[in-house]
Amino acid sequence: MEIMVIGLNHSTAPVEIRERITFPGDHDGAVARMIGDVEGVEEAIVLSTCNRAEIVVTTKDVEESRERLIRTIGEIHGQDPSVFRSYLYVRHGADAVRHVFRVAASLDSMVLGEPQILGQVKEGYRRATKARTTGPILNRLMHRAFFTAKRVRTETGVGSAAVSVAYVAVELARKILGELRDKSILLVGAGEMAELAARHLNNQVDRPIVVVNRTYENACILAEELQGLPIRMEQLEQRLVQTDVVITSTGSCDPIIGKAMMKRVMRARRHCPIFLIDIAIPRDVEPDANEIDGVYLYNIDDLQAVVAENIGERRKEALSGERIVSEETEKFMHWTKTLDAAPTIVALKEKLEHIRATELARLNGKFADLDPAQREALESVTRQIINKIAHDPIVFLKRTGAHGKQNLYLDAVQRIFRLNGAADNQNEGEEL
Amino acid sequence: MDLVFFKIALALYLGASAGYLVFLLISSESRASVGFWCAVMGFVAHTLSIMHRAIFSGFFPLATSFDALSAFAWLLVGIFLLVRYHDPSPIFGSIVTPMASVLMIFGWTLVYQVTEPLIPVLRSTWLPVHVTLALAGNGVFAFMAIGGLMYLFQERLIKTKRLGRLHRLLPSLATLDTINRHGLPFGFFLLTLGIITGAFWASSVWGSYWTWDPKETWTLITWFVYAGMIHQRMVLGWRGKRAAVLAIIGFGLVMFSFVGVNALLGGHHAFQGANRFMPPSGL
Repeated sequence: MEIMVIGLNHSTAPVEIRERITFPGDHDGAVARMIGDVEGVEEAIVLSTCNRAEIVVTTKDVEESRERLIRTIGEIHGQDPSVFRSYLYVRHGADAVRHVFRVAASLDSMVLGEPQILGQVKEGYRRATKARTTGPILNRLMHRAFFTAKRVRTETGVGSAAVSVAYVAVELARKILGELRDKSILLVGAGEMAELAARHLNNQVDRPIVVVNRTYENACILAEELQGLPIRMEQLEQRLVQTDVVITSTGSCDPIIGKAMMKRVMRARRHCPIFLIDIAIPRDVEPDANEIDGVYLYNIDDLQAVVAENIGERRKEALSGERIVSEETEKFMHWTKTLDAAPTIVALKEKLEHIRATELARLNGKFADLDPAQREALESVTRQIINKIAHDPIVFLKRTGAHGKQNLYLDAVQRIFRLNGAADNQNEGEEL
Repeated sequence: MDLVFFKIALALYLGASAGYLVFLLISSESRASVGFWCAVMGFVAHTLSIMHRAIFSGFFPLATSFDALSAFAWLLVGIFLLVRYHDPSPIFGSIVTPMASVLMIFGWTLVYQVTEPLIPVLRSTWLPVHVTLALAGNGVFAFMAIGGLMYLFQERLIKTKRLGRLHRLLPSLATLDTINRHGLPFGFFLLTLGIITGAFWASSVWGSYWTWDPKETWTLITWFVYAGMIHQRMVLGWRGKRAAVLAIIGFGLVMFSFVGVNALLGGHHAFQGANRFMPPSGL
C-alpha cells in the first residue's frame, strides 16, 4: 500500500493550464468519490485552490493507478490528458508524505507562509470524509499534516512578517496607533497603489475615509467609490490635525506637505502620533518631516524595502520549517511500516505470551510444591489457551490481506491490543 | 536555611530569564512559555520564601533592605503575571524576570542579614501599611519605566525604518503609552499615600511628622517630579517619547531613594540593622 500524490501547482503549470484543472463540483466530495472509485485506489482526497489542484490517494500499484488516475482527471475536466500531462507532478511514498506536509505548512505556497492554505487543505479533507473516501492511512496522514502545519507555524516565524506593501502599511499603522477601529484616514490624491493601501486600511476602521484632491470633482468621485468624505485642497492642513493615517499620491512636482506645515499640525494636535504614507514619485511630503517628534513618515521605497526584507526573513524561517517537515515525514513513514500483517501478528503473539509469562511468574510462590510433570502441564495448558485465543484473529488478519480492508483491521487490532505503541499514536492524534 | 525558598525562586527566575532570552534570539514561542512557567513556579517559591521569613521573624517581613528588595522583586513578577493575563506578548517577561533576578542577587549578596527580632519602634500597625503602599507605588513606577524603555526602542526602530523581529515583538507605541497614561496617576496616588502614612507613623513614634532625613527629602523630590509629570501630561499634552523619558528618570529617582540613599547618605531612615544608633523607621 502506498501513498501517491498527483497534481499541478503555480510552479509547474502556467495559469492557462491551472484554470482548466480545478476539480469543479467537489463541494460535497463528489469528485473525491470519483477518484476513490478508480480501480486500484483505496482512499482519496482532492485539494483545489487557486494555485494548485491535486489528489492524494493510496493504492496498491503505483504504476497502474497513475495512468488510470490521469485519465480520470482528464475525464472530469473534459480534457485530453496530453494537454496537462507534462505539467503534472507524481510523487509516492515518503516524497508524497513530505509533499502533503509541505503544502499544509504553507512551505509550498506561492506566497511563502500564507495562512489560508491550511484551511483549504482541511476543507478538502472534510469533503473527502463526507464522501467516505478516506481510511486509516489518509486519516492519519491528514491529521499529521495539520499537526505539522501547527508546529511550523508556532516554532518558526515563517508566517509572521507582512509581505505586501498594503499589508506592511496596515501592520505598521497598528504598531504606531494600536487598535485602528476608531482612527481616521486621509487619502490625498489618487493612484492605484494608494487606493489599494487605502482600501486595506479602510477595512480596519469604522470612520469614513476622507479624500482630498486638486480637483474637487475627482475627490467626490473617489470618495463615493470608497464611501468616504470629499474635501477641498485648501482644507488639507486643517484636516491633518484630526487625521491619524495619511496616504499621499498626487502628481504634484513639489511637496504639498512641508516640514513647517507638519510642525504646526503637530502642535495643534497636541503631539498625537501621525502616520504618513507617501506613495507619490516625486515626493508629496518633505522627507525632513520624519524628524518631527510623533511624525512617522514612510515612502514607497521604505515600504518596498520592508517587504523585500520580510520575504527574505520568511525564506530563512522556511528552512527550519523544512526540518520539522522532515522529522514528521520520518515519523509517519515509520508508522506506515508497522501497518503490515506480519509484524502485527508477531506483536500480538508477543503481547499474549508476555501476559502469560508475567501471570505465571506472579503466582510462582503458590506453585512451589508442584513436581516437574505438573509444572510442565501448567505451562502447556496456559500456552494452549493463548494460542486458541490468538488463532482466529491471526487467520482473519492473514485472510484480509487478499481484499482491501486490511489496513483498517491492522490499525484496529493494534489499537485494541495496544501494540507497537499504538496508544501513544492515539494520544498524539488528540493534540490536534 | 532561611534562604532555601529564596534560592529556589532565584534559580527559577534565572531559568525564566534564560527561556525568554532564547525566545528573543530565535522567536520560539515554546521557549517563551518555558520562561513563563518558570516565572510562575518561581513566584510560588518566592511567596513561600517571604512567608517563611515572616514566620521566622514573627512579624511583617519588610524590616530589612534585603526583605524590601525581595518583596519588590516579588511585586514586579506579580504585576507581570497580572499584566500577562491581559496582554500575552512575552516581551514583558523578557524584561521583568531578569530584573527580578538582578534585584534578588543584589539583595542577597550586598545587603543580606539574618533576621532578628524587631526592635520596638518597628512594631507598629503603620509599618505594613506604609511599606506596602510605598512598595506598590514603586512597582507601578517600575512598570512605567519598563514601558518607557520599550517605547524608546520601538520609536527608534519605526523612525529609522528597521522593522525586523524586535519591532514585531515589541508592543505598539499606543499600548506602551497607555501604560504610562494609566500608571502615572495610579503610582502617584500610591506614593502620596505612602508618604502620608509614613508621616503618621513618624508622628506616632517620634511626635513629629517630617524630619528632613535624606530619604524623606529624596522621596519628596521624587514626588515633585511625578507631580510635574502629571502636570505636563494633562495640561501640555506631553506623551510618547517625552513621557517615556520622564518615566525612566522618575524611576531612577525612585530607585535612588529606595536603595541609594541608605548606601550613600545614611540618615535615620535606614532599615533595621543598617544603623543601630538611630531609631530606624522602615523605608
